Amino acid sequence: MTDMTAPADSLPLVRFEAITKHFGGTVALAGVTFEVRHGETLGLLGSNGAGKSTLIKILSGMQPQTGGDILIEGVPQTLDSPVDARDCGIVTVHQNIDDGVVFGMTVAENLVLDNLSVAGGNPWMPYGRVRRQAAAILEELDFDLPLDVPVEQLSASGRQEVSIARALVKKPKLLILDEPTSTLSARESERLFERVAAMQARGIAILYVSHRMSDIQRLCHRAVVLRNGQVVSNHDAPLDARAITVSILGEIALAPAFESRTGRETVLSGEGLRVSRHGPAFDVSFRRGEIVGLTGLVGAGKTELLEQFYGARPLVSGKLELLGQPFEPRDQPDALAHGIAMVPEERAAQSIFPGEQLTTHASIGRLDRFSTAGIMQRSEEVAFARKVISDFHVRCPGHEAPIEALSGGNQQKLLVGRWLADEREVMILDEPFRGIDIGARSVIAKALRAYSENTAVIVCSSDPEEVIEVADRVLVMRDGEIVCDIASSEISAEQLADIMSAAPPSQAHPTTMETNSVH
Amino acid sequence: MSTDIQSSPAERATPYSKDAITHFIYRYGLLVVLALMIVVFSIAHPFFGTFANAMFILQASAIVAVVGLGCTISMTVGGFDLAVGATMSLVVMVAAGAMVIYGFSGPVAILLGLAAGLLAGLLNAMLIVYARIPDLVATLAAQFLVSGTTLLAVNGQSISEGMSLGTTSATGTFAPIFKWLGSGYVFGVHSSVIVAGLVFLAVFALLNLTKWGRIFYAIGGNPVAAAAVGIPVRRYRIIAYLLSGLLSAVAGLLLVARSNRGDVSVGDAYLLQAVSAALVGYAVLGANRANAFGTLIGAVFVATLINGLTMFNFPYYAQTFVQGLLLGVALLMSYTLGPKSKR
Repeated sequence: MTDMTAPADSLPLVRFEAITKHFGGTVALAGVTFEVRHGETLGLLGSNGAGKSTLIKILSGMQPQTGGDILIEGVPQTLDSPVDARDCGIVTVHQNIDDGVVFGMTVAENLVLDNLSVAGGNPWMPYGRVRRQAAAILEELDFDLPLDVPVEQLSASGRQEVSIARALVKKPKLLILDEPTSTLSARESERLFERVAAMQARGIAILYVSHRMSDIQRLCHRAVVLRNGQVVSNHDAPLDARAITVSILGEIALAPAFESRTGRETVLSGEGLRVSRHGPAFDVSFRRGEIVGLTGLVGAGKTELLEQFYGARPLVSGKLELLGQPFEPRDQPDALAHGIAMVPEERAAQSIFPGEQLTTHASIGRLDRFSTAGIMQRSEEVAFARKVISDFHVRCPGHEAPIEALSGGNQQKLLVGRWLADEREVMILDEPFRGIDIGARSVIAKALRAYSENTAVIVCSSDPEEVIEVADRVLVMRDGEIVCDIASSEISAEQLADIMSAAPPSQAHPTTMETNSVH
Repeated sequence: MSTDIQSSPAERATPYSKDAITHFIYRYGLLVVLALMIVVFSIAHPFFGTFANAMFILQASAIVAVVGLGCTISMTVGGFDLAVGATMSLVVMVAAGAMVIYGFSGPVAILLGLAAGLLAGLLNAMLIVYARIPDLVATLAAQFLVSGTTLLAVNGQSISEGMSLGTTSATGTFAPIFKWLGSGYVFGVHSSVIVAGLVFLAVFALLNLTKWGRIFYAIGGNPVAAAAVGIPVRRYRIIAYLLSGLLSAVAGLLLVARSNRGDVSVGDAYLLQAVSAALVGYAVLGANRANAFGTLIGAVFVATLINGLTMFNFPYYAQTFVQGLLLGVALLMSYTLGPKSKR
């Protein structure tokens, strides 16, 4: 309300005033203050867990803030639902493209979906009428989409256009685009950028959330960087990519706090691998006694590569060798039987059994060790759970507590810790540090270091800082290819970020990288 | 690292620190109501509280309990078996036909019946695990297929001793073991109650004491996470449906022994009773998931209620309504009073 003295037309469109958000004891946002002005495109950046998604959820009415005010054109507003947000002129196109469309309906039906929820109006809605309304919408927005095609038959970018069209129909003053290019190819991204330019020309303010520096530089008038739930810097065009990167990553570790190792014999290797049928082929190998950090932007192909190692995806091409023997896992249990374990990326969807005790989570992967002729030996199981809890400093009300009672970091310590009790050939961790605090991160990193003495450990992360922090060797993936393979002691997180985001794949080869790394 | 575990919302949402009264109702509500019901009926009617009547109630719930325990197993893996009633009918006809028409001995008839149940379970498992049809619709299709097979095999006719077979009449009779299953007693306890008790102990042990039980519940909780820790999810889902078919067969054998004849579709009515026993069981002791003890209580609860109401000349056609009421209240307890669904 301090802006009340300013003339009305110079009021910012949206102003966040000391927004805080707590999840239990975890602080996601610690007082965020910034504004979006009329008609501007503002870039919002930050590493995983910096608070971007939380901020977007608050602004789109999906979650209430714990404290602070949202002022829309100077007036404090409560955004309790997406409808409230829409009434304030705020519309969001979410990162997951398929959240914005309804499968099983045609493009035309998707486009008029929002008209159906309007009270009153003509309830008679034969398909001809739906089609005419949809055609009018496309005409007005100058979009070109096939009306009668089921939406699931469109490409990712086509479905995104449907989502954007649905958003624009609501005549937003502020459009939030959340990681819009994360699942698009370069050509598809180009189409999106033209769309954004057209929206800018219409005077729509855009909050553009992205990891991709090149997108931000190209589209945004200003940029705001979040780190640890706070705004750490504001940048004006021309945007300085280097300054922004430094700001995103914070104090970059000057040197790894450990001796970088080179590993011993090769455990797992692949020749002529691909992450998609028409992608480039590459070779890769992992050795006992080292931690390899696999990094790259979202959509670079990291997950697709790892899934081939642990049997969640059939080998696309080439061949794998495990301990010198040809290896092609049928499925995950088969890979596990061969000594390849993995900690999945999405804790809630891929690791957690809802409502089950910590003990159950600790023991589930090695029930044979706690049972005789199939009968569970409860005391041994509990002893194991207690050991993981104490070794990994899992803060919990007790081993019988349901896993939901723990913070994300403590859940992760338990879920990683349970795997490290057994020796394996390869241990894969997909985004193990996502959304967890620095304390949990260091406990896990330290344990991995010890565990990797006899195991090839692969840590996958899109955060270059994390990779440098834990890995002996770093692989960078970009556009489905490994573009850099280097000892972590010879590269900085900033340089990694540059390689990850470099636009055309020809600009940064491993060779050019070596010259880059000489200061 | 300043996370205060004790006050996190996730912790508050669990039954451990819920408002005490809600928590008590959630855990013990159904058991308390059952106990109260027994006390009230016993005071109000002199016969209700007798040993004979207690046995009568248990006998009435035995078959439902056995089928319900089969449903419970399929529910633990996140499935749902709609074919249990049709499987019972099939087993009834197989066992009756084996003895009456083909003159097989009792043990052979039992083995054939159990095999028929396993086959029906296998059909479910194939549709669900290999054809990847969702459980509910797959078992719906299996229900019709199994029922239809039964009807075709016996030309839609019932099987009874001395039935006409075209020019001759059937010479086979029900074997002694079936007579015992239908009307035998051990220390005053009806044989079907003993069988149901043994089935209960076996299923309880399986689900609560063995690693296989852990695996079943893990698959039901999160199949993706189960595969990630190396559990062969498909194999265990097949096993769950086979066990469900096997227990339907046991129930079918009890049923045919009770009537000493084979009527087509006689088992169909047990589907809904068994499913509701298992669902009522969710609310017992705050389990909030399918569990053996809960299913047993669910089956006994319904039988007790109907027994008591009948004693007070409550019209038989009101029974369905009373069952619906009970199921509604039990579901209310597990879904509304219980911890919010985390799925």
